[in-house]
Amino acid sequence: MARYGMALDYKNCINCKACEVACKEENGVLMGADKHRIWVGVNEISGEYPLLDIVSHSFQPSQCQHCDEAPCQMVCPTNATYYDEFHVVRVDSDKCILCSYCMNACPYDARYVDDRTMTVDKCTFCSDTRLARGETTTACQNTCPTKVRTFGDLDDPESEISELLRTREHFSLKANLGTKPKLFYLT
Amino acid sequence: MQIEVSRRKFLQGTVAMSVAGGSALSVTNLFASHEHESHAIAKSITTKTGEAKEVKHIPTLCEMCVNKCAAIARVEDGIVTKLDPNPMFPKSRNMLCPRGNAGIQALYDPDRLKYPMIRTGEKGEGKFKRVTWDEAFKYITEKTTKILDEEQDNRSSFLFCAGEGMAEHTFKTFYQAFGSSNWLNHASICLQTVASGYGVTIGAYPQADLENAEYIIMAGANRAEAIVTPDTMDAFKRTKGRGAKLICVDPRFTNTAAKSDKWLAIKPGTDLAFVLALTYVVLTEELYDKAYVEKYFAGFEAYKKHVVTNSYTPLWASEITGIKAKDITTIAREFMAHAPKAVYYPGRRSTFAQNDFQLRRAMAIFQGLGGGIDTKGGLIFGDKISLKGHESLIPMYDKAKSRAVTKKANHKEGEAGYDDCAVISGGGSWLGWRNRFLEGKMPYKVRGMFCYKHNPMMNMPNTAKTAKMLKAMELVVCIDTMPSDTVMYADVVLPECTYLERTDPVKTFGGVEPSIAQRNRVVDPLFETKPVNEILRGLTAQLSRPLFDITKKYDEEVQDSIADGNEEEFYKEEYDMTKIYAYDQEELNEHAVHKYHGAAEALEKHGVFYPKMDLYFKQLSVNEHQYYPEKEKSYSVGGGKPKTPSGKLECNLANLASKGIDPMPTWKDEFNFSVPQGKFRLLTGRHAQFTQSGTSNNAVLRDLMPENYIWINKREAKKQGIEFGDKVEVSSRTGSTIIRAYPTEKIAPDQVFFVHGFGEESSALTWAFKNGGNDNAVIEDVLEPVYGAAAMHETNVEIRKV
Amino acid sequence: MKIGPLNIPLREDFSLKSILNFEKTPVNMLVAVSVVAMLAMLVIGVSLYLMHGHHAYNVTREHPWGLLIAVYIFFVVSSTGFCIVGSLGDVFGFKDFTMISKRAIFGSIVTILAGFTVIAFEIGHPVTMMIYNVLSPGLTSAIWWMGTLYGLYLTFMIIEFYFLLNNDMKKAKIFGLTGLLVGLAAHSNLGSVFGFLNARTISQGVFYPTYFILTAFITGIFLSFIIMGFRYKLNFNEKTKKLLEGLAKIQGLLISILIFFVTWKLLTDMYGGMPNRAEVAEHILGSGSFWTEVILAMVLPLLIILKDFGKSPVLMFWASLSGMVGIFFMRYNLVHDTQLKPLQMMKVREYQLPPEWIHYFPSATEIMISLGGLGLCVLLYYVGTKAFNLDEEEGH
Ligand SMILES: Nc1nc2c(c(=O)[nH]1)N[C@H]1C(S)=C(S)[C@@H](COP(=O)(O)OP(=O)(O)OC[C@H]3O[C@@H](n4cnc5c(=O)[nH]c(N)nc54)[C@H](O)[C@@H]3O)O[C@H]1N2
Ligand SMILES: Nc1nc2c(c(=O)[nH]1)N[C@H]1C(S)=C(S)[C@@H](COP(=O)(O)OP(=O)(O)OC[C@H]3O[C@@H](n4cnc5c(=O)[nH]c(N)nc54)[C@H](O)[C@@H]3O)O[C@H]1N2
Ligand code: SF4
Ligand code: SF4
Ligand code: SF4
Ligand code: SF4
Ligand code: SF4
Ligand SMILES: [Mo]
Repeated sequence: MARYGMALDYKNCINCKACEVACKEENGVLMGADKHRIWVGVNEISGEYPLLDIVSHSFQPSQCQHCDEAPCQMVCPTNATYYDEFHVVRVDSDKCILCSYCMNACPYDARYVDDRTMTVDKCTFCSDTRLARGETTTACQNTCPTKVRTFGDLDDPESEISELLRTREHFSLKANLGTKPKLFYLT
Repeated sequence: MQIEVSRRKFLQGTVAMSVAGGSALSVTNLFASHEHESHAIAKSITTKTGEAKEVKHIPTLCEMCVNKCAAIARVEDGIVTKLDPNPMFPKSRNMLCPRGNAGIQALYDPDRLKYPMIRTGEKGEGKFKRVTWDEAFKYITEKTTKILDEEQDNRSSFLFCAGEGMAEHTFKTFYQAFGSSNWLNHASICLQTVASGYGVTIGAYPQADLENAEYIIMAGANRAEAIVTPDTMDAFKRTKGRGAKLICVDPRFTNTAAKSDKWLAIKPGTDLAFVLALTYVVLTEELYDKAYVEKYFAGFEAYKKHVVTNSYTPLWASEITGIKAKDITTIAREFMAHAPKAVYYPGRRSTFAQNDFQLRRAMAIFQGLGGGIDTKGGLIFGDKISLKGHESLIPMYDKAKSRAVTKKANHKEGEAGYDDCAVISGGGSWLGWRNRFLEGKMPYKVRGMFCYKHNPMMNMPNTAKTAKMLKAMELVVCIDTMPSDTVMYADVVLPECTYLERTDPVKTFGGVEPSIAQRNRVVDPLFETKPVNEILRGLTAQLSRPLFDITKKYDEEVQDSIADGNEEEFYKEEYDMTKIYAYDQEELNEHAVHKYHGAAEALEKHGVFYPKMDLYFKQLSVNEHQYYPEKEKSYSVGGGKPKTPSGKLECNLANLASKGIDPMPTWKDEFNFSVPQGKFRLLTGRHAQFTQSGTSNNAVLRDLMPENYIWINKREAKKQGIEFGDKVEVSSRTGSTIIRAYPTEKIAPDQVFFVHGFGEESSALTWAFKNGGNDNAVIEDVLEPVYGAAAMHETNVEIRKV
Repeated sequence: MKIGPLNIPLREDFSLKSILNFEKTPVNMLVAVSVVAMLAMLVIGVSLYLMHGHHAYNVTREHPWGLLIAVYIFFVVSSTGFCIVGSLGDVFGFKDFTMISKRAIFGSIVTILAGFTVIAFEIGHPVTMMIYNVLSPGLTSAIWWMGTLYGLYLTFMIIEFYFLLNNDMKKAKIFGLTGLLVGLAAHSNLGSVFGFLNARTISQGVFYPTYFILTAFITGIFLSFIIMGFRYKLNFNEKTKKLLEGLAKIQGLLISILIFFVTWKLLTDMYGGMPNRAEVAEHILGSGSFWTEVILAMVLPLLIILKDFGKSPVLMFWASLSGMVGIFFMRYNLVHDTQLKPLQMMKVREYQLPPEWIHYFPSATEIMISLGGLGLCVLLYYVGTKAFNLDEEEGH
């Protein structure tokens, strides 16, 4: 069984948010500023015009990190949050009691409440849409204009993502928390 | 029927309902259906169907903006549930931008036009009655024939205007057959000066090979937000020390600036001085490609002398542009060190300042000095796969007056004629035309207009004047998909179906990797909407003969022709407009690509075709594809030779001088950037999530950025007590608009900026109505002198907290 | 009253009428009217919740836990506190304290029921919870342990109360001890719900699990003063005075320890300026609700205790009322402060101020349900006083 992860060549990101729209359309994510599975973080620029600090304004695309040691999974009282056979961190909306513990525990603010089911939702690596149909791309990865995202099987040494992680320097977000994210930022 | 039938039950009363369902069809909305339709209108963005019985994947082309990226529509049980990028198209290389992804919302927008309508209220008021297509055509026919009769068959008493689009030409053939000389399109409010500037200098408006360029100067173009394919995809993958150096020259700190290696904050409208100074360095330090100049430059010595004797030095330019002399020198040297794999990016929407034409000339010449023309990593002309043209009908109307009278040298005060620009271009100056119309300077009466996929109310500086023009027209026919601000002024509204509901003319895309692509109908048109060629088929069926009868009445030549022949045969042969719309688009497209074996099938199946595609196209990696093998790519088609008639790069265009235009790019003191104390220069531009005014009602895009905000320098805002989110009034001599404030250091203290396309006045647009500020309500109608293009950044405004 | 093999000794005069029959003093009337008003709010609040779900609350993605969680904690801490106080007499055999045992144990049942009521409207799907808590227990989840243990604890408390009513002190002691241990386990688990939040450095660590036990004890003592005050209409007999004096002395010690704890917690939080922790601590120090907590729950009661070492039970009654308000702020602050610092510090929308501190103020619905919980608690307690003899059995 594959163990899916995503490598982000984040310096390519132009903050166009095609990924966010693609995700919403593919996965039926609701509208509303709080209802996103994927986002691009930006800092307000530092410096005074025209002496602005270009690097302070870099774009950081992000989403659920599909942590291998996921705090959200550990704190879930009903095991509604679980690892599926591809090690994707998923939420079973039938089991979720909306205690919101996972929302508080996720260090990445990756979770939100879906107003239809009133349960917690998040990026699923398109598991119940694209992957379920046998596709091997995610909506956000596929559509990205500057090809920031490489999605693939971390357990397959031949996969492109494995190759990337072997050959390019990369980091993970909040690595100090020991969550072991499966989102990798290529430098 | 509700789209949302997934496992997740869509609960009434949730936030989603109040956000998206707020505009669910209501009978009180005139633009809504009058009876319950079986058609699907999405109540939310969620178009995921889950367990569909029938799933189809149909290749199409996006029309959410001018780029035409290739998409594949997933259709589940007749409902479009997703648009995915089509990897087979070299121009868009497996990408869809946010707007492309949100295209479904154009199809299922509850506010979209659904039926033909005729105005019942005042113009602009938005009161219409639903009519049948027949009634609409009849109304147009009656009014048109009446006007033409009164104008004695002066076909030019009707204006035809169109926005850019794949079916623009279909509409243009109507204009040609109608016989008017008044055609206006987006050119003069978009890329007129850049296209012409490069056109007269190097013979074509080139593309840039950003995939291979090592050094890029991007000035006055914001590719990270103003998306143009494939440039946007190529420009940012190798910046930041990864193989290509990107210099961004923009008064604002844009997303392109954020992605660049160096950002130069230039004073608006002073780029010409910047380029002249770069040129000065290159000429005086002899950094240019001598061989290329020798072979392909015309007027080089004159230009060199011009630049050197005028002392267009970096120091001189730094005063004007606000860019350090040292930076100018360094950039000139670096550019030439990388040339010919160096690009001074031509840009697209060019009309910022009055000197724009000369600026583009200077840019083209500077590019040429490095030899980076028609070559890998530089500017390229590319190759094109030819298509077989489709016959059009261009009858001769003797009574049709010409477009207008050219301004004569001994022009008398009050005499009708062009005084808006020096050169009369094919496109014409929209702004100049409108103003002349309002000022009564037309040589004849123009009384009606046909408007296709175009929104003059939103797209032209000085909205009040446009409204006045539309009010003065006795017949305004709008073919649109949305109840836009312009539609509000229409007498007759003809609803076109959206791009996902029609097959459009097949199109050939030139470039390094040329191809042909086709928009295929994804679903059948909803409501009573139709593609424009079917609309015109219906209209001409009613209109053609009565119009001919009028011609017969006034046109002696035609009378003569009939006298000695069969009238019916003559009409059919020469004047029958219906024959240009006799064929379905599918048939026409097949005909157009007939000479390429398997092309029609490929276009239907893949949406894309080019010779040897089956051999060449392959997936290289998760994100990359090969379209052509490297050696088959058309980096160079003429070995670097400019495409001008002379085959030379024209530095010195003496023939321009006769029209009062500088033959060589020249800086004038009046170009200096100046803003009076207490005012701000207003800049406008693109946003990655919106297209002009066309997407303002798109619920999904609006969700990403609910409204536009005015950028105002933080320190300046603080001085005026303006905080984030405060409402301010922006005003100029032209008018005013209300908008929220975004204090930021990304803009200079004497400038303000906001995204174009917001603040619409049409109350039929649920989400766009009065949402944010409308730039064109404020921007003054300043004409660029050469082509009469709208110079959009020449307005100083005042800001007041409200 | 006999239910199967169970014998529940109700008061002879207990009837619906007896419930409505109370001395119509102004204070009593005020309490009665307030309780009715609060119960009405509960009905309105719950209706709003049923109509709009979580949208009736001001909880957000960034601040998913709101007032109801704080009130839940407030009640369960009260329950644990009652349980500890009740155990002093009948579990640990401190004779002076046995007179309050039955009342305190009953109080612990009532408060936890109120807590459960409130949390039922905070948890999105309480029924699902009961099913999947059993079918797919999340054994690494502090909430699972906390919930499960509190469920057990309630059971033990009820059994203990049953034996207390029936004067079976031996069995009461066994169940009391078990209940106390389970309760303490549950309660420290509640602390660990916060303590396990590795991403929230302000709460993460051992502090909350231990602090919860300490503050529970303090809460129990405050509540003892209040219920005894009502029982004796502030006119205490000698025996009660002795009990209360003892409690006040313990309270003095506990509050001193608490102040010591909190001081060091804040000092260590701020020391070295660790990101996400130091600035939160500083923010807390600058907030009014923190000082409300400190003054009402710590400084005031402690001063009154120190005045004459707890010899003024009437003053202590008032100090305890102040203390309970302070304890409420303590709970609210704990929940809010945990979520003060956004986990996502970048802008994700173009026209947005960069996230700074997360703001939260409870919605009307949340306030109504919370007050409703209080009303319910008072009502149940009052009915209990009518139904059972909560005083110490004579001659015991
Ligand atoms: N102030 C200011 N003004 C500007 C600009 C600016 O940046 N600032 N930009 C300028 C530029 S570069 C340009 S190109 C112009 C663009 O100006 P326009 O050509 O007017 O383009 P849009 O504003 O997008 O309006 C397009 C209209 O076409 C309709 N439409 C969309 N799809 C279809 C379709 O399939 N069929 C039909 N029949 N109608 C359709 C839309 O509803 C909308 O009413 O604006 C120019 N004006
Ligand atoms: N997302 C999106 N993409 C689009 C479109 C869209 O509407 N939305 N429209 C398409 C169309 S029709 C066009 S024409 C193109 C337009 O593409 P662009 O021309 O690249 O876009 P603009 O935003 O109009 O202007 C580019 C930049 O010029 C800067 N600028 C203004 N004045 C000056 C100046 O004096 N000097 C310099 N150096 N810079 C200046 C502005 O701050 C702005 O950032 O985009 C196309 N792509
Ligand atoms: S689609 Fe790609 S470039 Fe655009 S915001 Fe997402 S990651 Fe960035
Ligand atoms: S990022 Fe958050 S939601 Fe995703 S697996 Fe990690 S802890 Fe869970
Ligand atoms: S909210 Fe749902 S998924 Fe999250 S911890 Fe609670 S039960 Fe698990
Ligand atoms: S992987 Fe799928 S679910 Fe996750 S953010 Fe991307 S599109 Fe959304
Ligand atoms: S750039 Fe975006 S909107 Fe324009 S055609 Fe391509 S996908 Fe469509
Ligand atoms: Mo344009």
